[in-house]
Amino acid sequence: MGERATPTGARIRERRLTLGLRQGQTAAAAGISPSYLNLIEHDRRPVAGALLGRLAEVLGVDRAQLLGDGEPELLDALRVAARQSGLGDGVVGDAPELVRRFPDWARLVAELVGRAERDRARIAALSDRLANDPALADAMHEILSTVSSVRATASILAQSPTLDAAWLRRFHDNLDVESRRLARAAEGMTGFFDAQGERAEHGTPAEVAQAFLSARPRPEPGGAPADVRALVADLPPDARGLASAALERDRADAAALPRPDPAAIPADLAAAAGVPVPLVLRRIAALDPARGLVVCDAAGAVLRRRDVAGFVLPSAGSGCALWPVHAAFARPMHPIRTYLATPDDAVWIADAAVEVAAGTTHGPVLEATMMVTRAAGRADATPLPVGPGCRVCPRTGCPARREPSLTGAGQDGAGG
Amino acid sequence: MTHPGRTSAEVAAPNGGTPGHVLLIEDEPNIATAIAFLLGRAGWHVSTHSDGTSAVAAVERHRPDVVVLDVMLPGRSGFDILAAVREGPLARLPVLMLTAKGQAKDRERAEALGVTAFMTKPFSNAELVERVARLAARGRVA
Repeated sequence: MGERATPTGARIRERRLTLGLRQGQTAAAAGISPSYLNLIEHDRRPVAGALLGRLAEVLGVDRAQLLGDGEPELLDALRVAARQSGLGDGVVGDAPELVRRFPDWARLVAELVGRAERDRARIAALSDRLANDPALADAMHEILSTVSSVRATASILAQSPTLDAAWLRRFHDNLDVESRRLARAAEGMTGFFDAQGERAEHGTPAEVAQAFLSARPRPEPGGAPADVRALVADLPPDARGLASAALERDRADAAALPRPDPAAIPADLAAAAGVPVPLVLRRIAALDPARGLVVCDAAGAVLRRRDVAGFVLPSAGSGCALWPVHAAFARPMHPIRTYLATPDDAVWIADAAVEVAAGTTHGPVLEATMMVTRAAGRADATPLPVGPGCRVCPRTGCPARREPSLTGAGQDGAGG
Repeated sequence: MTHPGRTSAEVAAPNGGTPGHVLLIEDEPNIATAIAFLLGRAGWHVSTHSDGTSAVAAVERHRPDVVVLDVMLPGRSGFDILAAVREGPLARLPVLMLTAKGQAKDRERAEALGVTAFMTKPFSNAELVERVARLAARGRVA
């Protein structure tokens, strides 16, 4: 796209100076360090989400005023939506104008498109479950077997007026047994669909846990640990364990690294603190809303994510095969630091590293973590073109494409 | 318990009444009872077997005219049993697969393995008896 980034940092600085506030004073009120605010004000660190909201509150302005041309996350959402709908670059380039002139309509469009994509992913997941769920297959087999028995027996009884008493009694008994069995199977099937309906409405346990974790406020550096059990008490039982494990890990990370320097290179910080690199990545991303985080297992499934404006992370599926989080498995002893370019031409720094999440008698269970940070200046090297995952990725000619995009990219086969 | 015998309204046994031998491999006891009754009334000698693991050995021991084979069996699936029969000494034996797994992919899999006929549950009693008679006649011609 190539629109210039809005100088949000400069607007923050200008507003602070207008109010006569010192940097340290403003930073403390917003819950960040003065050095970090300094980086933000000089546009060396992006600012979005909850931190932008806190700064706007401290400075007594609406966050939209600080964003100037419009909220970057809203612009990103509109651009992706426009590309998905097959609109040309000219229309896509109108997104900032739309946000400036009709912000409420722009938000509505973004919200509707986002909701449609979430529904699509949910329907696909539900459809997959119905087609492949072993519990449903078992329940259907039970019902068909029982119906077969009932039908065959009932036909014999109906069409054999001269059956002798022993056979008659035997078939009546069979019919009684099978009709009870059929009733139980039907109840089981009803229960199955009730559970599926519940899941269709609220998502899988992993989706429910992730939604809960995403909605939680960010922790304060050095803040007191929360009572995990109380926090997850209202979640459905099958999501509770997942959310609880994630929060316990957050707590352990905070104890191991209470106040990481967000400006430090993660591998250096890990070496200095004597902790694994993935822990540093998780901890920085937990505290800083300008960082995105993805944790994957060796099968590529996303186990945990922290969203960041501009870097689209999938709500379901496994994201982009080119993300360094996947390449990290190939070099577990060596953290990766590289530049990435998202389809809107924004450049990001990605840090990725692998750690052993658990052990089995057959070897370790590995987990890879990737943190993404929007690059403040020019990239030192050519960035790797990546996307948000094939389903919503507009790139054409990608060697890693595994399915066509909703935008039409890749319709002619792999590689788009 | 005496068998009521067959009536003229029912399907004739193969070759004008010569009784044949059917091996029914089915683990649902009440379905097995109903099918054995139906085939017995039509003049067939029916042996039943409910275990998947020893089913191929049962086929080779009984050497029936027709096998009626369920798919979901304890120990070994009907598909595996069919494949083993087709590779054994009774490779040309008529096999009627009778299953609740009635999806197109299941039928295609059975056909790829060389099934002679495929019926889904729930089934019509009359159609089942008729299909068994036809298979036996075909087997004798072959």
